[in-house]
Amino acid sequence: MDTKIVHPSSSNRNDAWDPERDDTVVCIDVHQETHDVKSFTFASPQGKWFAFDSGQYFLFDFPLGPDAESRCYSISSSPQRTSTFTVTVKRVAGGKISNWLHDKLASGTTVKAQGPLGHFVRPRGAGRKFLLLSGGSGITPVMSIVRDLADTCEPTDVVFLHAARTPKDLIFREELSNLAGRMKGLRLHFLPEVVAGEPSWAGLTGRISPEFMKLAVPDIAERIVMCCGPAPFMAAARKISAELGVPASSYIEESFDAAVIDETQLSIGEVVTARSFEVEFLKQARTIDVAGEQTVLSCAKKAGLRIPSSCANGVCGTCKSRLVSGSVDMKHNGGIRQREIDAGLFLPCCSKPLSDLVIDR
Amino acid sequence: MLQTFASSISSLLDTRADGHSLPAGLYTREDVFEADIDVFFRKHWICIGLECDVPEPGDATVVDIGNSGLIILRDDDNQVRVVHNVCRHRGSRILNAGSSVISKLVCPYHQWTYELDGELAYAPHMGADFDKSCKSLRPVNFKSIGGLIYACLSDNPPSDIDRLEEAMTERLAPYDIRNTKVAFQADVVEHGNWKLTMENNRECYHCSANHPELCVSFVDLDFGFDPESLSPEDREQAEQHEALYAERTKSWEADGYPSAAVEQLVDCETNFRTQRLIISGAGESQTPDATAASSKLLGTMTRKDLGDTHLWGHNSWNHFMGDHAVVAIVIPLSADKTLVRTKWLVHKDAVEGIDYDLEKLTNVWVATTDQDAELVARSHAGVLDPAYVPGPYSPFSETNLDRFAAWYIDRMRAHGY
Repeated sequence: MDTKIVHPSSSNRNDAWDPERDDTVVCIDVHQETHDVKSFTFASPQGKWFAFDSGQYFLFDFPLGPDAESRCYSISSSPQRTSTFTVTVKRVAGGKISNWLHDKLASGTTVKAQGPLGHFVRPRGAGRKFLLLSGGSGITPVMSIVRDLADTCEPTDVVFLHAARTPKDLIFREELSNLAGRMKGLRLHFLPEVVAGEPSWAGLTGRISPEFMKLAVPDIAERIVMCCGPAPFMAAARKISAELGVPASSYIEESFDAAVIDETQLSIGEVVTARSFEVEFLKQARTIDVAGEQTVLSCAKKAGLRIPSSCANGVCGTCKSRLVSGSVDMKHNGGIRQREIDAGLFLPCCSKPLSDLVIDR
Repeated sequence: MLQTFASSISSLLDTRADGHSLPAGLYTREDVFEADIDVFFRKHWICIGLECDVPEPGDATVVDIGNSGLIILRDDDNQVRVVHNVCRHRGSRILNAGSSVISKLVCPYHQWTYELDGELAYAPHMGADFDKSCKSLRPVNFKSIGGLIYACLSDNPPSDIDRLEEAMTERLAPYDIRNTKVAFQADVVEHGNWKLTMENNRECYHCSANHPELCVSFVDLDFGFDPESLSPEDREQAEQHEALYAERTKSWEADGYPSAAVEQLVDCETNFRTQRLIISGAGESQTPDATAASSKLLGTMTRKDLGDTHLWGHNSWNHFMGDHAVVAIVIPLSADKTLVRTKWLVHKDAVEGIDYDLEKLTNVWVATTDQDAELVARSHAGVLDPAYVPGPYSPFSETNLDRFAAWYIDRMRAHGY
């Protein structure tokens, strides 16, 4: 007798947050970090625990207006504290999302979230020396890394260099000072651009420069540099690091705009369209550049990469692919379901990149 | 008078003796199998699935009946639809077997793309003059009766499904089968003709010797017995049981739960029977100890003592109990192979391991279905033997088989055989 038995629905309780299935988090705390920065802490409504790496981010759908708005925010909390995760957001003048978050997102609010996503994670291995370099609200993923190291008491050699506009804009200033007092391998440098609001500021001021870097981090060439901040900051950091002998293989940046929380950057059309992103196709082992105003599919075609497709218009769904990391602006016409999007799928034919992408094709 | 036969099957139908099982050829011949598919699975109403097979918009599942591929899906307005799984371009199958999540129905061959209501939305390279409007996917006649999906592949579906619909809509309402979930599904391929599968299900003559698990909760006497063959003790028990039936049926009906038997078995197109049966022992459910398997009862049920509402059709059998339901759908695969697809339904919010124990839920009918598969295979092998001669049905416990055979012959003749 041929017998086959299938389980159509298995409803076993699993206590871990499952990125493939879970998509709802509830805000359980809002904390004012600086005059214009707040941290939002989220838990799973079912009390599930989160497994993520420091440096990763979540993609949120915020219920603004008729359509949900999507934004990625890096996790600032420690991955060792698994019952919740925290993102830290700066209010930006005219920033639709950041203002909504600051004004409307309160304890008890439920939002859709996918993740954890992203590959901006600390390379593992003994004896690694790091320079964590952050500008403004780009501090969030590197803060998560420092908190992780503090929680695990991992022997480490980390220089943390955080640049901001004024001393009052230094996010997590007190906590970092406290951590530096007890973490044996942590050296801390704050670099405000100006002393506005705190004339007694004792340290140096200004922007990062080769001269400053040589003084603050003389052994930079031996370090793995992990950088996150506004695009100009990252461009400068990359250039300086290269000049001071940091090999390209030791330089890692979170090129993901939204992680920087600098919405003004994203909302200015020219800035976005001028950008080009790296799109990696895992199965075909190819990486191409895609300008922000082009669809992933059209660029892939031009580069000789093959993705099954037909309508080129988000209707038929033939090109449906798994987005391993990164985020896109997708304007589909019914060719994909929200629950498929929630599960990490997208349609390359009608999607423009908002960040570097890794695609399972 | 000149006698003409519509087909070689007609003479075979003529040789069937009243009160006896069917002539071998009706169980074994390929041409009879083709005729059966045409008459009983294309021109009559058949049960093909459940609304809860496609719980969410975008869920789709494919059911194959003979050469017909049917797609059951739920559209964006939360409506269940059934369409033929045949592209209007060059006929390619659109969805694969099994279940899938769809946003549109897209033919993988040339990407003809249909909305979930079947309308052709996009057909590449067909030219500006191409009229998409008359190229929708062909819909299938279907009815959802209390969440059970009945389809008829003919353009002239029998109208006497009304009686089934009327009886079952009322009886199934408190169970709210639309809001259940499939906790478990077992597909068993029986090595026998589909009519042997159905005949086996219509009698409980074989139960006491073959179904120890089922007999804890099922009363084999419910489907007839010869009082003379019982011991005085068993006869007394049977009489008590009959009295209990009358009393229980009356009290259930007084409480607003229709329970008496409704039958439409001969001289009809749509063949069905329903009755609320007593569950023995603990009286709650078809489980190893007859107590409920799920603590979360179905629908608006608040009682576990409402027995087992059974429903037969000519390709299905069903048991609706307070805590769960068992739905079996029979799909012929060839003259000698039949798929029995059994689904165990619980309240859609019931959680495995908390509200119900899967082993307890499925134990009885998993065992019973396997045992029945053995019996049907044994039966089919014997019918294939040249030594087989149709034998008499028991006038006590196999009267429903005689009715089924009579209905079968009658329906075949009505369709020109």
